[in-house]
Amino acid sequence: MHLMFFKVSAIFYLISSIIYAAFLLRSKGTTCLSGFCFVAAGFVTHTSSILHQFWVLGFFPMATPFDAISLFAWGVIAIFVALQFWDRNPVLGAMAAPIATVLMLVASTFSYQISQPIVPVLRSWWLPIHVSFAIAGNSVFTVMAMAGAMYIFQERLIKRKKIGRFHKILPSLETLDTFNRRALPIGFFFLTLGIISGALWASSAWGSYWTWDPKETWSLITWFAYAGMVHQRLALGWRGKKAALLAIAGFCLVMFTFVGVSLLLGGHHSFVGLCRETVLS
Amino acid sequence: MTQTKHDFMVLGVNHTTAPVLVRERITFPGNQDGAVTRLVAQTRGIEECVILSTCNRAEIIAAVDDSEEVSERLIQLVAQIHGLGADSLIPHLYVKRRSDAVSHVFRVTSSLDSMVLGEPQIVGQVKAAFKRDAAANATGPLINRLMHRAFFTAKRVRTETGVALSAVSIAYVAVELAKKILGDLEQSEALLIGAGEMAELTARHLAGNVRKPIRIINRTIENACALAAQFEGTAEPIDRLFEALTTADVVITSTGSCDPIIMFSDMKAVMKRRRHKPIFIIDIAIPRDIEPRVNDLDGVYLYNIDDLQAVVDENIGERRAEAEKAGNIVDDEVRKFMNWNRSLEWAPTIVALKNKFEEIRINEIGRLNGRLAELNDTEREAIDILTKSIINKIAHGPISFMKQSLKTSRHNQHIDFVQRVFDLNSFVSGSESEEAQISGYETDHRN
Repeated sequence: MHLMFFKVSAIFYLISSIIYAAFLLRSKGTTCLSGFCFVAAGFVTHTSSILHQFWVLGFFPMATPFDAISLFAWGVIAIFVALQFWDRNPVLGAMAAPIATVLMLVASTFSYQISQPIVPVLRSWWLPIHVSFAIAGNSVFTVMAMAGAMYIFQERLIKRKKIGRFHKILPSLETLDTFNRRALPIGFFFLTLGIISGALWASSAWGSYWTWDPKETWSLITWFAYAGMVHQRLALGWRGKKAALLAIAGFCLVMFTFVGVSLLLGGHHSFVGLCRETVLS
Repeated sequence: MTQTKHDFMVLGVNHTTAPVLVRERITFPGNQDGAVTRLVAQTRGIEECVILSTCNRAEIIAAVDDSEEVSERLIQLVAQIHGLGADSLIPHLYVKRRSDAVSHVFRVTSSLDSMVLGEPQIVGQVKAAFKRDAAANATGPLINRLMHRAFFTAKRVRTETGVALSAVSIAYVAVELAKKILGDLEQSEALLIGAGEMAELTARHLAGNVRKPIRIINRTIENACALAAQFEGTAEPIDRLFEALTTADVVITSTGSCDPIIMFSDMKAVMKRRRHKPIFIIDIAIPRDIEPRVNDLDGVYLYNIDDLQAVVDENIGERRAEAEKAGNIVDDEVRKFMNWNRSLEWAPTIVALKNKFEEIRINEIGRLNGRLAELNDTEREAIDILTKSIINKIAHGPISFMKQSLKTSRHNQHIDFVQRVFDLNSFVSGSESEEAQISGYETDHRN
């Protein structure tokens, strides 16, 4: 029962991924309404899933990889749905829907949280605040990287004078670059808040703001990378292909910090011990 | 008497049947307010009509009576209007009737019969012609319905196939490309360097999309001024070239210079000053005005006339494939329209049949009125319902017989037969009630 809404939304994302893929391969149009309908349906059930968990448990479950990754997928889809009001491009859907599907599948391999965490540190209001900001930042950077990939693809088509069907379906370079320009400060803002809230939480839990734990270190590296991007963009006027490439590179860094550090380097954010506790409790 | 039968007819010349010399003489002069259309519509045998005249075609689309002479009469009329001999016209004319005519109108409106397949202007031209002739009272329920279905078909073709998606003129491709690079172009600045037919055509196309006045640079400032007056742009001397390149977003070059006027190193410096803001350059000149290597610079998109032509060729091939799909849509719509059209032939007979039965019923009840005097209201109502249901049951047979016969080639005889069996001559009235019927059907069938 806990996972019903979650499973249904994963299925919706999967269906829309298939529709979008078929659309890109075959259709001549420039909008894919049916694909979007399934994404929207998935978004509604996914939101219900999160609210349902809250209603059943009485708190927002965010302490396990399951919850974090599910929230990540939700964030990506939320941004995609919001972007529909701006540009209804099917290519973005064809990237967002499969990414959400994969994230949902990855999330479902972890066990989910059914009660308040045992570890006292996690029984704090800082948990939802910190996780929400961090995930919001990740989601924005993910969609930004998708737009970056679209930019590079479209740019290549135009430069090489290969004007085919994909050229017509992809948004204009200007649209994609505008998205990069607007999304960058927003994502950076969330990332900053995520790091600050993490530091404050650490201070209240362990009495020290910063302990050079691997996750903290890599977050700081990511923060500097994006700070550099904001600077290049605003002060030096970097745009277009360079900005798109940076968005993709930044995304790789974000993914390493989000997934790689926990798996490879351990530290506070290592979920290994935590999972066992939640399963047992 | 049987009702007057109507038929659709198209008579005209187009780019495939007549050379320009003939086409440019058949333009229906003086038809700005539909006066010529009205004149044609008043010809014997013609009930309603629309005249379409564009650079590639001149056509009369008419609802006519069923006779064979009417096309003869129309040819004479067209010859007379243009002061030509009918004999010199006939080899270039096409005359289509019935479903061929309907299909032709649908194809023309959907831009499947255009010289440039799928070009978007034709719908607007047909709409304008129809609006003008409807205002001149030259059209009626038949042509109105035909034209509305034609516009509906054109819309289906546009949304369900890719016929209209790809641009097939160089100027159009250039503007579409500019939009893919620079967005909606409203805030963009266009710069025209040099002059020439192709360059001016492209610039004119661009001018429709950008809001700022076009900047025009020419070696001879007088020429620049002349062009600037044409485009409502601004003229500038050649020494302002690099300054202009720093702010422009779309550049069209077409000078007669033997050597490139913009070199790689020049453009590199310009891009630095632009802070790498993207620039779309269309080099129409032969020999080239711009060193081809400029395309390698980040943010510079350089297309020459051959590149654009390649895009155009590719789009044309794509459109041909889509045109086949569009043809199926047209066939589908023609079939629906012809079904509706045939239904008009039996509609008056059905009305007549129902009227006759109802008259009989009212008369018979009236005759019995004295003997029914003792009945109360409920009983009277029961008799009313009973008699009505009897006549409906009787009418059902012949009506479904006529509807069934629509699918056969003999439906005209069958309608005639029903009229004679039930002696409906006095009930199938003239055109007035028929028109009422038609407009009734029109509202029923409207999508």
